[in-house]
Amino acid sequence: MIQVEELTFAYPNGLPVLENLSFEIKSGEFVALIGQNGAGKTTLLKQFNGLLKPTRGMVRIDGMDTRKSTTGLLAQKVGFLFQNPDHQIFLPTVAQEIGFGPANLGCSREEIDKRVREAAVQVGLEPYLNDNPLFLSKGQRQRVAFASLLSMRPQVMVLDEPTTGQDYREGIEIMEMVKALHRQGHTIIFVTHDMELVARYAERVIVLSQGRILMDDTCRRVFYQPDVLRRTNLFPSQIPCLVQRFDRYQEEFGMPLSVEEFYKAITDSGGEEYVHCS
Amino acid sequence: MKPVISIEQLSFTYAGSERPALSGINVTVNPGEFIGITGPAGAGKSTLVLCLNGIIPHFQRGEYQGRVWIDGLDTVDTHCTEISRKVGSVFQDPEAQIVASTVEDEIAFGLENFGMEPEMIEARITDALQRIGIEGLRYRSTVELSGGQKQRVAIAAAVALRPKILVLDEPTSELDPLGTKEVFEVLKQLNQEYGLTIIVVEQKINILLEYIERLWVMNEGRMVADQPPRQIINQPELLTGVGLQIPPVSELVYRLKAAGYYSGELPLTVDEAYWALLKCRGGKG
Ligand SMILES: Nc1ncnc2c1ncn2[C@@H]1O[C@H](COP(=O)(O)OP(=O)(O)OP(=O)(O)O)[C@@H](O)[C@H]1O
Ligand SMILES: Nc1ncnc2c1ncn2[C@@H]1O[C@H](COP(=O)(O)OP(=O)(O)O)[C@@H](O)[C@H]1O
Ligand SMILES: [Mg+2]
Ligand SMILES: [Mg+2]
Repeated sequence: MIQVEELTFAYPNGLPVLENLSFEIKSGEFVALIGQNGAGKTTLLKQFNGLLKPTRGMVRIDGMDTRKSTTGLLAQKVGFLFQNPDHQIFLPTVAQEIGFGPANLGCSREEIDKRVREAAVQVGLEPYLNDNPLFLSKGQRQRVAFASLLSMRPQVMVLDEPTTGQDYREGIEIMEMVKALHRQGHTIIFVTHDMELVARYAERVIVLSQGRILMDDTCRRVFYQPDVLRRTNLFPSQIPCLVQRFDRYQEEFGMPLSVEEFYKAITDSGGEEYVHCS
Repeated sequence: MKPVISIEQLSFTYAGSERPALSGINVTVNPGEFIGITGPAGAGKSTLVLCLNGIIPHFQRGEYQGRVWIDGLDTVDTHCTEISRKVGSVFQDPEAQIVASTVEDEIAFGLENFGMEPEMIEARITDALQRIGIEGLRYRSTVELSGGQKQRVAIAAAVALRPKILVLDEPTSELDPLGTKEVFEVLKQLNQEYGLTIIVVEQKINILLEYIERLWVMNEGRMVADQPPRQIINQPELLTGVGLQIPPVSELVYRLKAAGYYSGELPLTVDEAYWALLKCRGGKG
């Protein structure tokens, strides 16, 4: 779905931010992109919808070279949720905001209304369709931005820190919606600094460090190599951290990611083995 | 000890809103306390912070009841600039807070407003940049920074002012895990070195429980808990009851305890959880 070949990117002021990246994301993957502040995550995401174009190398979306296609065309394939929802909200009602993309695609009035309603229902914004987005809470504004993306029905969804600034429940609700979309076959790429969310949702984790890929593997394998993560000042979520405090964790507990998995590993050994290993 | 902040029967309803954003808050803070505020969205955390730095009632319309004393001054009768000399603020949205075009100017801005000598300003800028670990960003343009970098600049600018009280509203929301830890280390240092009183709103419960000494849990405009983290974690319903999470390691030990594998206090950190698990083994053996 997404092919990145020897991608190098520098902003006009000359700083090289992405250096010689090559990787591929297949249709239907659920990928977390993690890395320190300033690692280049947002810059990389913006290559996927053509907002930024490679300085050298190539990015292909469903076969299309981003340098040779328009942002309009790419927007039908790749939906983008910005790090700050206010950067993408600018119309006076929630309904207009959600309908903006489909209107631009040249959809009919009925088709627009249908898509707006569906998207609003999906994110629970139905009661607010006639409200001004600016008067909604940050969590709700994030949903407006999310619904605007849904109404475009893009195959790939790129989400830059989708849960930032929200409380625990709101964050989980957003991620559950994303997960449902993934189950329907959408390709998901999200950026987050919350390692608990990574452990809970991501199948594949790409670790970006100073514009280069440091690791690209399953979440489990990434979180059970904390030495490599530490090189870019990241640490795994709490459970893998705790498990790895035990020298012989592999034999005793395996490689649990969640509370549930670790709890099972402890109690399944009937407590017996658990009592003796140390 | 004379409290540095004292809030009496504080209620506030934003103009045009029916529901109070704060109702009946009563609380006092002693100098040098390090306090965390958490709670679901809309609980009133930001509103409470705005009452501490005088934005409410001075710049926000609404129905205000009760009193807030900052270092002996009633905020209603005190000019906002006077309050801002005592209370440094980091707002929830760094984009809205940053006014200058370069990082250096942003940090100098508040100091100049206080009429500080240029050499002094220079020393403060260097110190703040160093503490927050952004010396490398000094001459960068503020609009070209990444989200996390902007947030660090906002924190550095508040720290440079060395106020008596520092209030921060979700200052680490866009920071990476190490950056978050570093900010809390800096806060702890300032708290210990200068006896700075700190109040920080934070959603990241793991880090909050590790650093602060007193936790306020808010919900629907009310203060529903005001206790040290250790007491709070041993009553997880205080957090889960208002839709918040307890740290995964605390949850694990909580479940082991419920199933009879462990008896004792619930851990606040990964480190404590490790010791709890060891004890749990000993207890069974
Ligand atoms: N418009 C711009 N012009 C120049 N440099 C920029 C611009 N936007 C970002 N940068 C720089 O590029 C680097 C990567 O930024 P990017 O926003 O991609 O980081 P990020 O990994 O998303 O960080 P964060 O986690 O803080 O959001 C940073 O050093 C940043 O300062
Ligand atoms: N400027 C405002 N105008 C009107 N209502 C507001 C304003 N800011 C916040 N509120 C309302 O006040 C309540 C508390 O909000 P807030 O203090 O921002 O909560 P928190 O910071 O805990 O998320 C919410 O119901 C919110 O919608
Ligand atoms: Mg970013
Ligand atoms: Mg708030």
